Amino acid sequence: MRMGLIFIRTAIIYITLLLIMRLMGKRQIGEMQPFELVVTLLISELACIPMADTSIPLLYGIVSILTIYLLHQIVCLIDLYCPPLKYVVSGKPSVVLNKDGIDEYQLRKNSLDVSDLMESLRTAGYFSLSAVEYALYEANGAFSALPKAGYEEEQTSLPLLVADEGKYNAKNIALTGMPPSFFADILKKQGIKNVKKVLAMTVDGTGKVFLQEKGKKRKIFTVPLPEGKRW
Amino acid sequence: MVKTLLSILISLLLIAGVAVFETWYVDKTFGEFSAQLETLYEKTEDESATRGDAEAVRVSWNEKKKVLHVWVPHNDISYVDYWLSEGLSLIETGQYDDALSKLEVLKEICRNIPAAYAFSFENIF
Repeated sequence: MRMGLIFIRTAIIYITLLLIMRLMGKRQIGEMQPFELVVTLLISELACIPMADTSIPLLYGIVSILTIYLLHQIVCLIDLYCPPLKYVVSGKPSVVLNKDGIDEYQLRKNSLDVSDLMESLRTAGYFSLSAVEYALYEANGAFSALPKAGYEEEQTSLPLLVADEGKYNAKNIALTGMPPSFFADILKKQGIKNVKKVLAMTVDGTGKVFLQEKGKKRKIFTVPLPEGKRW
Repeated sequence: MVKTLLSILISLLLIAGVAVFETWYVDKTFGEFSAQLETLYEKTEDESATRGDAEAVRVSWNEKKKVLHVWVPHNDISYVDYWLSEGLSLIETGQYDDALSKLEVLKEICRNIPAAYAFSFENIF
């Protein structure tokens, strides 16, 4: 019953990998659905081992690959015809930025942080958190954003993440050429006594600030910058 | 949808068919070989085993292993080859006591190989 054992063992590994891919969140997924990634990961190895090791009967590889094909077809059927299970197998899109600001829960759920979100925005052509109405990670890990009308005019300077996840970003503060106290003052004026309460704070070279406290809505405002301080 | 379901069904049938045939064939082959070994073992115990008996077992095994290579990892078959060669050469030179221990190992290997493929918790994990 060796072939039966191979079938069961392959199915166990397939399901475990699929589960792990889903648990890892969208950060680990490229532009494939989790179950597609699992197939890609498994097939190459399964094909190589019996091909290279002549002491293993070729049938072992063929049965494993056939099992992967079988499971993949079942998962594809679930994906197409069974919406409740589709979310279990493929996941669903996560709206990480909406009109209220960054959805911290969705970011955490997908093992992402604010800098990852900003990176995805920049890759999509949006350099500011305030340039988009909505941003989401699709089930396959791809990033989509709905920009605000006329966002191009606002993108005249690069916003820098000066504080995120309750900490100042010393490197970005140095890039602004401003002392840390300048940003602490901005927080104080907004009624935030401690940076630990800040989820994200970006400032661009025109003085436009995106500020969001943890568990609260975003605020977008402009602060005057000292003469000659632009980036 | 129909095409996908059909492909799932065909794959399942293929895997099940191969699994059932492989179980039947490996069990049957090792069963036959074990019986031949048992006969040779008894003759060796009586010190009546001849070069011809030993050669007959060797020929039978060589025939069987040609097809067994399709189903069983080649290393497992090599173990049988190794112990069989030792056991048979001892019989051919009349060293029956030494040959018995080699045949005992062979009988154990022939029991273990099909058991290692059995559908059991420890074999799955």
